[in-house]
Order: sequence, then structure tokens, then C-alpha cells
Amino acid sequence: MGGFSAIGAGNGWIISALGISVVFFGLASLAFIISYFPRAISWWNDHAQTPKHLFPLLKGLFKKRRRKEELLLDARGVQEPGEIDDAEEAFRLLTAHMGEPFELPRLIEMAEQRGLARVYSTINGLLVRGTIVGGADGLFRWGTATDSKKSVEGEEVK
Amino acid sequence: MIPTEELKRYEIFAEMDLTELKLLSAMAAERRAREGEELIRAGSPARNLYVLQKGGLMVAFPDGRAITLHKPGRVVGWSALVSPTHYTASVTCLTDSTLIAFPGSELLRLVQRNVVFGTKIMRKISEVLSRRLPFLQEKDKKLLRQRS
Repeated sequence: MGGFSAIGAGNGWIISALGISVVFFGLASLAFIISYFPRAISWWNDHAQTPKHLFPLLKGLFKKRRRKEELLLDARGVQEPGEIDDAEEAFRLLTAHMGEPFELPRLIEMAEQRGLARVYSTINGLLVRGTIVGGADGLFRWGTATDSKKSVEGEEVK
Repeated sequence: MIPTEELKRYEIFAEMDLTELKLLSAMAAERRAREGEELIRAGSPARNLYVLQKGGLMVAFPDGRAITLHKPGRVVGWSALVSPTHYTASVTCLTDSTLIAFPGSELLRLVQRNVVFGTKIMRKISEVLSRRLPFLQEKDKKLLRQRS
């Protein structure tokens, strides 16, 4: 006896069908579980805020991570004077193409397109230092040594 | 809710009495915005009036001109009190900023109900407007003239 008849005699067809079914149901179950992942994660996020029994330890871990992120954000908020000086050169190159006076939103847009880091806070730093000054016409120019640190509203910028 | 003592610090509320400050305090909420975040988009419905507590803002007008605000107490979003309540400029945070947000509809209701309060607040708003009038587009100026 050999071939298909041997498979039939040894319950091979049934075993094959059973194997296929097991694999199929296994994969289907896995797909079902994975499809619930987003809900499970959002549930976790909601409940991790108010831990009761099992969560405190895990929440502690998350807290540490969050603190690290906060520290990074805090560090991001501090800008060294040297960084502003370097950025100033880049902005001066950009305004060389635009001419003076220039539109501040356009300058920011161009700086972002060229991938300059922290464009807004750098601009703010330059404004606060009086390196860039706003005119009554709503246009901006590079300040001179004699320029007072006044914005178009006539307010002291700092 | 923002404490009345905090509100009293700002020029826009300097003339308000305690009762008025309490009403304002009840509707006010703190709003934190990140560097580069667009707080207000020109042309969008004006839902809030903001008072700058800390940080720096850029008010950009549709024609490309702009002003920057750094002093605490500066006001943005006055369009929330002036029909047709659509913002006339975009406001972006130059640094991480903290602002006090007042819902325009509630503030407008208060202005309509209380004439004395309305006069005080609208006088302050008109001061802001007069400073920014050169930047407004002709259609906005015409609209404001009609309203006044």
C-alpha cells in the first residue's frame, strides 16, 4: 500500500484538515487580538492615570520616563547666546535674498523650509535683543547699535 | 478660572471693579501654547479673546506684515467681540507661552448685559484696534467704520 491510499488508511486527510484548521484559527485569533490593540492601549492610557492595584509600579516607570521627557523639554527651552549668534548668520543670509525691510512671516517660512532649528524662539531671541527690529509699517529690518529695543506697538520688548 | 488679583494686573482690566473681575474670572481659562503653535488662524471663526501672560507672540496679517507682542497683558483675538467674529490675522507663539482665554460668546453676552462693563472693555479693545488699524485690510477697516 502506498500513495493516497496509505494517507487515507493512516487518517492523513483528517490530520491534514485538522492541522489546517488549527493554523487558520490560530491566525484568525491572532488577527482578532491585534485588532483590539488600539482599544487596549487607549484603555491602558486612561487607567494608568488613576492606578489602583497593579499599576503603581508600572506607573512609576512611566513617571520616570515622563520626567526625562520634561527635562528634555526644559533643556529645549534654554537657548545659549552662542546658538542665537550662529542662527543670526543663517537668518542674515536668508534676508540678503529677501532684501530689507523684510516680512517676518516670510523669513520664518524660508528658515523652516531650509530646516533651521528652533526658528520661532531664535527669532524671538533676536527681537528681544534688538538684533531684529519691527517698523511701524509691519515690516522688519536688522537693527543697528543705535536702535532702541522697541516694537511697533512702542513697547519695550523686555 | 483665573484669580481676580491676576486679572487686575493687566491694563485691559485695570478699570474693572471687583464684581466685574469676578465675572471675568469665572469665564477665564489658562491656555498654554508651544513655540511655533498657531494660536489663531486668520479667517477662522473668532471664538476666544486672549490676554498674554507670559511668552512672545507674532501677529501676522494676510498681506505679510506682522507685529510681535512680548509684554504681559497684550490682547489678541479682539475679533471675538466684533461682528462678523472672524479673526483678521494669524497669531503664532514665538516661545512657549501662557495666555488667559476668554470665550468670545460669553464675553459678548456680558458686554451686552452690563453697559458699564461693556463700555470699559470696548474702550480698551478700541485702543488695541487703533494701534493695529494700519495693518488691517481695507475691507476690515470699512467694516469697523460701519460698526462704529
